Amino acid sequence: MLEWMVWTLPTALVFIGLAVLLVVMAVWARISPPVARRGFLRIETDRGDRLYIGLISAAVVLAGWMAVTDLSMWLALGCAVLVVVVIGIWG
Amino acid sequence: MTAGTQVSGEVVTAAPAEPAEPHETRADLKRKDNRAWWLVLPVVVSVAFTAIIPLMTVVNFSVQDVFSPTERVFVGLDWFYEAVRRPENREAFVRTLLFSAQVLLVEIPLGVAIAVAMPRRGFWVSVALVLVALPLLIPWNVVGTIWQIFARADIGLGGWTVNNVLGIGFNYTLDSTDAWITILVMDVWHWTPLVALLAYAGLRSIPEPYFQAAQIDGASGWATFRHIQLPRLRGVLTIAILLRFMDSFMIYTEPFVVTGGGPGNATSFLSILLSKIAVGQFDVGPAGAFSLIYFLIVQVLCYVFFTVLTRSGR
Repeated sequence: MLEWMVWTLPTALVFIGLAVLLVVMAVWARISPPVARRGFLRIETDRGDRLYIGLISAAVVLAGWMAVTDLSMWLALGCAVLVVVVIGIWG
Repeated sequence: MTAGTQVSGEVVTAAPAEPAEPHETRADLKRKDNRAWWLVLPVVVSVAFTAIIPLMTVVNFSVQDVFSPTERVFVGLDWFYEAVRRPENREAFVRTLLFSAQVLLVEIPLGVAIAVAMPRRGFWVSVALVLVALPLLIPWNVVGTIWQIFARADIGLGGWTVNNVLGIGFNYTLDSTDAWITILVMDVWHWTPLVALLAYAGLRSIPEPYFQAAQIDGASGWATFRHIQLPRLRGVLTIAILLRFMDSFMIYTEPFVVTGGGPGNATSFLSILLSKIAVGQFDVGPAGAFSLIYFLIVQVLCYVFFTVLTRSGR
Protein backbone atom coordinates (compact mmCIF):
# COMPACT_ATOMS: atom_id res chain seq x y z
CA MET A 1 0.00 0.00 0.00
CA LEU A 2 2.84 2.33 0.86
CA GLU A 3 4.97 1.15 -2.02
CA TRP A 4 4.44 4.31 -4.03
CA MET A 5 6.02 6.31 -1.21
CA VAL A 6 9.33 4.47 -1.84
CA TRP A 7 10.34 4.41 1.83
CA THR A 8 13.93 3.86 2.90
CA LEU A 9 15.13 3.04 6.40
CA PRO A 10 17.01 6.34 6.97
CA THR A 11 14.10 8.56 5.91
CA ALA A 12 11.67 6.45 7.95
CA LEU A 13 13.91 6.88 11.00
CA VAL A 14 14.03 10.65 10.44
CA PHE A 15 10.24 10.92 10.34
CA ILE A 16 9.79 8.59 13.32
CA GLY A 17 12.28 10.77 15.17
CA LEU A 18 10.32 13.91 14.29
CA ALA A 19 7.06 12.31 15.39
CA VAL A 20 8.59 11.18 18.68
CA LEU A 21 9.98 14.69 19.18
CA LEU A 22 6.51 16.18 18.70
CA VAL A 23 4.92 13.75 21.13
CA VAL A 24 7.66 14.34 23.70
CA MET A 25 7.21 18.11 23.41
CA ALA A 26 3.44 17.76 23.82
CA VAL A 27 3.80 15.55 26.90
CA TRP A 28 6.47 17.84 28.34
CA ALA A 29 4.16 20.83 27.81
CA ARG A 30 1.49 18.92 29.72
CA ILE A 31 3.77 18.17 32.64
CA SER A 32 5.38 21.59 32.84
CA PRO A 33 3.91 24.32 30.60
CA PRO A 34 6.55 26.20 28.60
CA VAL A 35 7.50 29.70 29.70
CA ALA A 36 8.37 32.37 27.17
CA ARG A 37 11.58 34.26 27.77
CA ARG A 38 14.31 36.14 25.99
CA GLY A 39 17.74 34.66 25.22
CA PHE A 40 20.57 35.52 22.84
CA LEU A 41 18.15 35.47 19.91
CA ARG A 42 16.70 38.69 21.43
CA ILE A 43 13.12 37.62 20.75
CA GLU A 44 10.64 36.13 23.14
CA THR A 45 10.51 32.36 22.63
CA ASP A 46 9.27 29.34 24.52
CA ARG A 47 10.88 25.94 24.16
CA GLY A 48 8.71 24.95 21.19
CA ASP A 49 9.74 28.10 19.30
CA ARG A 50 13.36 27.40 20.11
CA LEU A 51 13.07 23.80 18.91
CA TYR A 52 11.61 24.99 15.61
CA ILE A 53 14.29 27.66 15.17
CA GLY A 54 16.93 25.12 16.16
CA LEU A 55 15.77 22.50 13.67
CA ILE A 56 15.53 25.00 10.83
CA SER A 57 18.99 26.34 11.69
CA ALA A 58 20.31 22.78 11.79
CA ALA A 59 18.91 22.19 8.30
CA VAL A 60 20.61 25.39 7.12
CA VAL A 61 23.89 24.19 8.65
CA LEU A 62 23.61 20.84 6.85
CA ALA A 63 22.70 22.40 3.50
CA GLY A 64 25.37 25.07 3.85
CA TRP A 65 27.95 22.44 4.76
CA MET A 66 27.23 20.54 1.56
CA ALA A 67 27.43 23.74 -0.45
CA VAL A 68 30.85 24.85 0.79
CA THR A 69 32.90 21.87 1.99
CA ASP A 70 33.74 18.23 1.26
CA LEU A 71 34.32 17.41 4.94
CA SER A 72 32.37 14.51 6.42
CA MET A 73 28.64 14.96 6.89
CA TRP A 74 28.96 13.32 10.33
CA LEU A 75 30.89 16.39 11.39
CA ALA A 76 28.10 18.53 9.95
CA LEU A 77 25.56 16.47 11.87
CA GLY A 78 27.54 17.09 15.05
CA CYS A 79 27.49 20.84 14.40
CA ALA A 80 23.76 20.71 13.62
CA VAL A 81 23.00 18.91 16.89
CA LEU A 82 25.16 21.44 18.71
CA VAL A 83 23.16 24.26 17.10
CA VAL A 84 19.87 22.70 18.23
CA VAL A 85 21.17 22.28 21.79
CA VAL A 86 22.66 25.78 22.01
CA ILE A 87 19.52 27.46 20.67
CA GLY A 88 17.34 25.25 22.84
CA ILE A 89 19.16 26.16 26.04
CA TRP A 90 20.35 29.74 25.56
CA GLY A 91 18.33 30.97 22.55
CA MET B 1 -4.90 12.87 30.73
CA THR B 2 -8.54 12.70 31.78
CA ALA B 3 -11.10 15.45 31.69
CA GLY B 4 -11.34 15.42 35.47
CA THR B 5 -7.77 16.55 36.05
CA GLN B 6 -8.09 19.19 33.34
CA VAL B 7 -11.12 20.68 35.05
CA SER B 8 -9.44 20.57 38.43
CA GLY B 9 -6.38 22.18 36.89
CA GLU B 10 -8.57 24.97 35.69
CA VAL B 11 -9.95 25.48 39.19
CA VAL B 12 -6.49 25.59 40.69
CA THR B 13 -5.30 28.24 38.27
CA ALA B 14 -8.42 30.32 38.77
CA ALA B 15 -8.09 30.37 42.57
CA PRO B 16 -4.97 32.45 43.38
CA ALA B 17 -5.52 36.08 42.48
CA GLU B 18 -2.01 36.88 41.34
CA PRO B 19 -1.13 40.09 39.54
CA ALA B 20 -1.43 39.38 35.81
CA GLU B 21 1.94 39.29 34.08
CA PRO B 22 2.35 38.48 30.39
CA HIS B 23 4.44 35.37 31.06
CA GLU B 24 2.00 33.96 33.57
CA THR B 25 -1.12 34.45 31.52
CA ARG B 26 0.42 32.38 28.76
CA ALA B 27 1.34 29.57 31.17
CA ASP B 28 -2.12 29.76 32.68
CA LEU B 29 -3.68 29.33 29.27
CA LYS B 30 -1.75 26.11 28.78
CA ARG B 31 -3.05 24.70 32.03
CA LYS B 32 -6.68 25.30 31.06
CA ASP B 33 -9.01 22.90 29.32
CA ASN B 34 -7.35 22.21 25.98
CA ARG B 35 -9.95 19.84 24.57
CA ALA B 36 -11.05 22.38 21.96
CA TRP B 37 -7.82 21.53 20.14
CA TRP B 38 -9.55 18.36 18.93
CA LEU B 39 -11.56 20.66 16.65
CA VAL B 40 -8.33 21.20 14.70
CA LEU B 41 -8.22 17.50 13.87
CA PRO B 42 -10.01 17.76 10.47
CA VAL B 43 -7.44 20.34 9.35
CA VAL B 44 -4.60 18.14 10.55
CA VAL B 45 -6.00 15.17 8.66
CA SER B 46 -6.52 17.08 5.42
CA VAL B 47 -3.11 18.76 5.63
CA ALA B 48 -1.53 15.37 6.31
CA PHE B 49 -3.25 13.94 3.27
CA THR B 50 -2.53 16.82 0.90
CA ALA B 51 0.81 18.12 2.16
CA ILE B 52 2.67 16.06 4.73
CA ILE B 53 2.42 12.64 3.06
CA PRO B 54 3.40 14.02 -0.37
CA LEU B 55 6.27 15.88 1.29
CA MET B 56 7.42 12.64 2.94
CA THR B 57 7.42 11.04 -0.49
CA VAL B 58 9.55 13.88 -1.83
CA VAL B 59 12.00 13.28 1.03
CA ASN B 60 12.10 9.60 0.09
CA PHE B 61 12.70 10.45 -3.57
CA SER B 62 15.53 12.79 -2.63
CA VAL B 63 17.81 10.03 -1.31
CA GLN B 64 17.23 7.50 -4.09
CA ASP B 65 17.54 7.00 -7.80
CA VAL B 66 14.03 5.84 -8.57
CA PHE B 67 13.24 4.04 -11.80
CA SER B 68 10.04 2.45 -10.55
CA PRO B 69 8.63 1.61 -7.10
CA THR B 70 10.46 -1.71 -7.17
CA GLU B 71 13.60 -0.62 -9.03
CA ARG B 72 15.41 1.98 -6.96
CA VAL B 73 18.88 2.59 -5.59
CA PHE B 74 19.76 4.39 -2.37
CA VAL B 75 22.20 7.17 -3.19
CA GLY B 76 22.51 8.94 0.16
CA LEU B 77 23.09 12.68 -0.11
CA ASP B 78 24.25 12.74 -3.74
CA TRP B 79 21.24 14.65 -5.01
CA PHE B 80 21.58 17.20 -2.23
CA TYR B 81 25.22 17.83 -3.14
CA GLU B 82 24.12 18.28 -6.72
CA ALA B 83 21.26 20.58 -5.74
CA VAL B 84 23.46 23.00 -3.79
CA ARG B 85 26.54 22.78 -6.02
CA ARG B 86 25.36 22.79 -9.61
CA PRO B 87 26.24 26.24 -11.04
CA GLU B 88 22.91 26.38 -12.88
CA ASN B 89 21.03 25.99 -9.57
CA ARG B 90 23.13 28.59 -7.80
CA GLU B 91 22.62 31.08 -10.59
CA ALA B 92 18.88 30.48 -10.52
CA PHE B 93 18.87 31.04 -6.76
CA VAL B 94 20.68 34.38 -7.02
CA ARG B 95 18.41 35.36 -9.90
CA THR B 96 15.25 34.55 -7.96
CA LEU B 97 16.45 36.37 -4.86
CA LEU B 98 17.32 39.42 -6.95
CA PHE B 99 13.91 39.31 -8.60
CA SER B 100 12.11 39.11 -5.26
CA ALA B 101 14.14 42.01 -3.88
CA GLN B 102 13.30 44.15 -6.89
CA VAL B 103 9.64 43.21 -6.70
CA LEU B 104 9.46 44.24 -3.03
CA LEU B 105 11.44 47.44 -3.60
CA VAL B 106 9.09 48.54 -6.37
CA GLU B 107 5.71 47.16 -5.34
CA ILE B 108 5.59 48.05 -1.64
CA PRO B 109 6.33 51.81 -1.97
CA LEU B 110 4.29 52.04 -5.16
CA GLY B 111 1.33 50.24 -3.61
CA VAL B 112 1.39 52.48 -0.54
CA ALA B 113 1.65 55.56 -2.77
CA ILE B 114 -1.36 54.45 -4.79
CA ALA B 115 -3.33 53.75 -1.61
CA VAL B 116 -2.54 57.19 -0.21
CA ALA B 117 -3.52 58.83 -3.49
CA MET B 118 -6.83 56.97 -3.77
CA PRO B 119 -9.98 58.93 -2.86
CA ARG B 120 -11.21 58.47 0.71
CA ARG B 121 -14.92 58.98 0.06
CA GLY B 122 -17.52 59.60 -2.62
CA PHE B 123 -18.26 58.23 -6.06
CA TRP B 124 -14.64 57.87 -7.13
CA VAL B 125 -13.89 55.36 -4.39
CA SER B 126 -15.67 52.56 -6.25
CA VAL B 127 -14.19 53.57 -9.58
CA ALA B 128 -10.67 53.62 -8.15
CA LEU B 129 -11.16 50.30 -6.37
CA VAL B 130 -12.43 48.53 -9.49
CA LEU B 131 -9.66 49.97 -11.66
CA VAL B 132 -6.97 49.04 -9.17
CA ALA B 133 -8.35 45.54 -8.55
CA LEU B 134 -8.72 44.69 -12.24
CA PRO B 135 -5.29 43.08 -12.78
CA LEU B 136 -5.86 40.84 -9.75
CA LEU B 137 -8.88 39.26 -11.41
CA ILE B 138 -6.94 37.97 -14.38
CA PRO B 139 -5.55 34.42 -14.21
CA TRP B 140 -1.76 34.09 -14.17
CA ASN B 141 -1.40 32.43 -17.55
CA VAL B 142 -3.68 35.02 -19.16
CA VAL B 143 -1.53 37.77 -17.65
CA GLY B 144 1.44 35.98 -19.18
CA THR B 145 -0.23 35.77 -22.55
CA ILE B 146 -1.30 39.42 -22.46
CA TRP B 147 2.25 40.55 -21.75
CA GLN B 148 3.76 38.06 -24.15
CA ILE B 149 1.89 39.84 -26.93
CA PHE B 150 1.90 43.34 -25.45
CA ALA B 151 5.69 43.43 -25.13
CA ARG B 152 6.42 42.04 -28.59
CA ALA B 153 8.36 44.39 -30.80
CA ASP B 154 6.44 43.58 -33.99
CA ILE B 155 2.75 43.28 -33.08
CA GLY B 156 2.63 44.27 -29.39
CA LEU B 157 1.45 47.77 -28.53
CA GLY B 158 3.96 48.18 -25.67
CA GLY B 159 6.95 46.72 -27.47
CA TRP B 160 6.15 48.58 -30.68
CA THR B 161 5.78 51.90 -28.84
CA VAL B 162 9.10 51.51 -27.04
CA ASN B 163 10.86 50.63 -30.30
CA ASN B 164 9.26 53.02 -32.74
CA VAL B 165 8.00 55.98 -30.68
CA LEU B 166 10.60 56.15 -27.93
CA GLY B 167 13.30 54.85 -30.28
CA ILE B 168 14.75 52.38 -27.74
CA GLY B 169 15.70 48.97 -29.10
CA PHE B 170 13.62 46.47 -27.14
CA ASN B 171 13.24 42.77 -27.85
CA TYR B 172 12.58 40.45 -24.94
CA THR B 173 13.08 37.29 -26.97
CA LEU B 174 16.69 38.20 -27.79
CA ASP B 175 17.95 40.51 -25.04
CA SER B 176 18.19 39.15 -21.50
CA THR B 177 17.85 42.58 -19.85
CA ASP B 178 14.72 43.29 -21.86
CA ALA B 179 13.29 39.92 -20.85
CA TRP B 180 14.02 40.63 -17.19
CA ILE B 181 12.41 44.08 -17.40
CA THR B 182 9.35 42.61 -19.11
CA ILE B 183 8.86 40.04 -16.34
CA LEU B 184 9.45 42.62 -13.62
CA VAL B 185 7.07 45.19 -15.12
CA MET B 186 4.47 42.47 -15.63
CA ASP B 187 4.72 41.42 -11.99
CA VAL B 188 4.46 45.03 -10.86
CA TRP B 189 1.39 45.48 -13.05
CA HIS B 190 -0.19 42.28 -11.79
CA TRP B 191 0.56 42.49 -8.05
CA THR B 192 1.01 46.11 -6.99
CA PRO B 193 -2.81 46.32 -6.79
CA LEU B 194 -2.74 43.73 -4.01
CA VAL B 195 -0.36 45.89 -1.97
CA ALA B 196 -2.43 48.97 -2.79
CA LEU B 197 -5.70 47.34 -1.69
CA LEU B 198 -4.17 46.04 1.55
CA ALA B 199 -2.63 49.42 2.30
CA TYR B 200 -5.90 51.18 1.39
CA ALA B 201 -7.81 48.95 3.84
CA GLY B 202 -5.21 49.77 6.49
CA LEU B 203 -5.50 53.49 5.82
CA ARG B 204 -9.28 53.43 5.98
CA SER B 205 -9.14 51.90 9.45
CA ILE B 206 -7.36 54.96 10.90
CA PRO B 207 -9.88 57.02 12.91
CA GLU B 208 -10.57 60.51 11.59
CA PRO B 209 -9.56 62.29 14.87
CA TYR B 210 -5.92 61.36 14.19
CA PHE B 211 -5.98 63.45 11.03
CA GLN B 212 -7.85 66.26 12.74
CA ALA B 213 -5.23 66.32 15.50
CA ALA B 214 -2.48 66.38 12.90
CA GLN B 215 -4.22 69.24 11.13
CA ILE B 216 -4.52 71.22 14.36
CA ASP B 217 -0.83 70.70 15.03
CA GLY B 218 -0.11 71.99 11.55
CA ALA B 219 1.56 68.78 10.44
CA SER B 220 2.74 68.64 6.85
CA GLY B 221 1.45 65.99 4.47
CA TRP B 222 4.71 64.07 4.80
CA ALA B 223 4.68 64.27 8.63
CA THR B 224 1.10 62.99 8.68
CA PHE B 225 2.11 60.09 6.46
CA ARG B 226 5.30 59.33 8.37
CA HIS B 227 3.90 59.51 11.90
CA ILE B 228 0.22 58.58 11.53
CA GLN B 229 -0.39 56.58 8.40
CA LEU B 230 2.81 54.55 8.09
CA PRO B 231 2.89 53.22 11.69
CA ARG B 232 -0.71 52.20 11.32
CA LEU B 233 0.12 50.24 8.19
CA ARG B 234 2.58 47.93 9.95
CA GLY B 235 0.14 45.02 10.12
CA VAL B 236 -1.09 45.10 6.54
CA LEU B 237 2.38 45.80 5.17
CA THR B 238 3.71 42.76 7.04
CA ILE B 239 1.17 40.64 5.21
CA ALA B 240 1.84 42.42 1.92
CA ILE B 241 5.60 41.92 2.17
CA LEU B 242 5.24 38.26 3.13
CA LEU B 243 2.75 37.54 0.35
CA ARG B 244 4.69 39.40 -2.29
CA PHE B 245 7.97 37.87 -1.22
CA MET B 246 6.67 34.31 -1.27
CA ASP B 247 4.77 34.73 -4.52
CA SER B 248 7.66 36.36 -6.34
CA PHE B 249 10.15 33.87 -4.95
CA MET B 250 7.99 31.07 -6.31
CA ILE B 251 6.95 32.80 -9.54
CA TYR B 252 6.38 30.30 -12.30
CA THR B 253 3.47 30.76 -14.67
CA GLU B 254 4.14 34.23 -16.02
CA PRO B 255 7.81 33.79 -16.96
CA PHE B 256 6.96 30.32 -18.25
CA VAL B 257 4.41 31.81 -20.64
CA VAL B 258 6.31 34.97 -21.59
CA THR B 259 9.92 33.83 -21.91
CA GLY B 260 9.98 30.14 -20.98
CA GLY B 261 13.04 30.95 -18.86
CA GLY B 262 14.98 32.48 -21.73
CA PRO B 263 16.66 33.99 -23.59
CA GLY B 264 19.37 31.56 -22.55
CA ASN B 265 18.84 31.26 -18.83
CA ALA B 266 18.09 34.93 -18.21
CA THR B 267 14.70 34.37 -16.60
CA SER B 268 15.10 30.78 -15.38
CA PHE B 269 13.91 31.24 -11.84
CA LEU B 270 14.14 28.43 -9.29
CA SER B 271 10.63 27.19 -9.98
CA ILE B 272 11.19 27.07 -13.73
CA LEU B 273 14.44 25.18 -13.30
CA LEU B 274 12.78 22.82 -10.82
CA SER B 275 9.90 21.98 -13.11
CA LYS B 276 12.37 21.43 -15.92
CA ILE B 277 14.15 18.82 -13.77
CA ALA B 278 11.03 17.26 -12.26
CA VAL B 279 8.57 17.26 -15.14
CA GLY B 280 10.74 17.82 -18.20
CA GLN B 281 13.47 15.30 -17.46
CA PHE B 282 11.47 13.35 -14.86
CA ASP B 283 14.48 13.16 -12.54
CA VAL B 284 12.46 12.81 -9.35
CA GLY B 285 15.52 12.25 -7.14
CA PRO B 286 17.40 15.47 -8.00
CA ALA B 287 14.07 17.33 -8.17
CA GLY B 288 13.17 16.09 -4.67
CA ALA B 289 16.46 17.28 -3.18
CA PHE B 290 16.14 20.57 -5.08
CA SER B 291 12.61 21.18 -3.78
CA LEU B 292 13.61 20.43 -0.20
CA ILE B 293 16.41 23.00 -0.38
CA TYR B 294 13.98 25.44 -2.04
CA PHE B 295 11.44 24.75 0.72
CA LEU B 296 14.09 25.34 3.37
CA ILE B 297 15.05 28.69 1.87
CA VAL B 298 11.42 29.82 1.74
CA GLN B 299 10.89 28.67 5.35
CA VAL B 300 13.94 30.50 6.65
CA LEU B 301 13.31 33.74 4.78
CA CYS B 302 9.61 33.84 5.70
CA TYR B 303 10.32 33.10 9.34
CA VAL B 304 12.95 35.83 9.50
CA PHE B 305 10.69 38.34 7.72
CA PHE B 306 7.75 37.45 9.92
CA THR B 307 9.74 37.64 13.15
CA VAL B 308 11.43 40.90 12.29
CA LEU B 309 8.23 42.55 11.14
CA THR B 310 5.95 41.38 13.96
CA ARG B 311 8.33 41.58 16.88
CA SER B 312 10.33 44.69 16.11
CA GLY B 313 7.50 46.88 17.37
CA ARG B 314 7.48 45.31 20.81
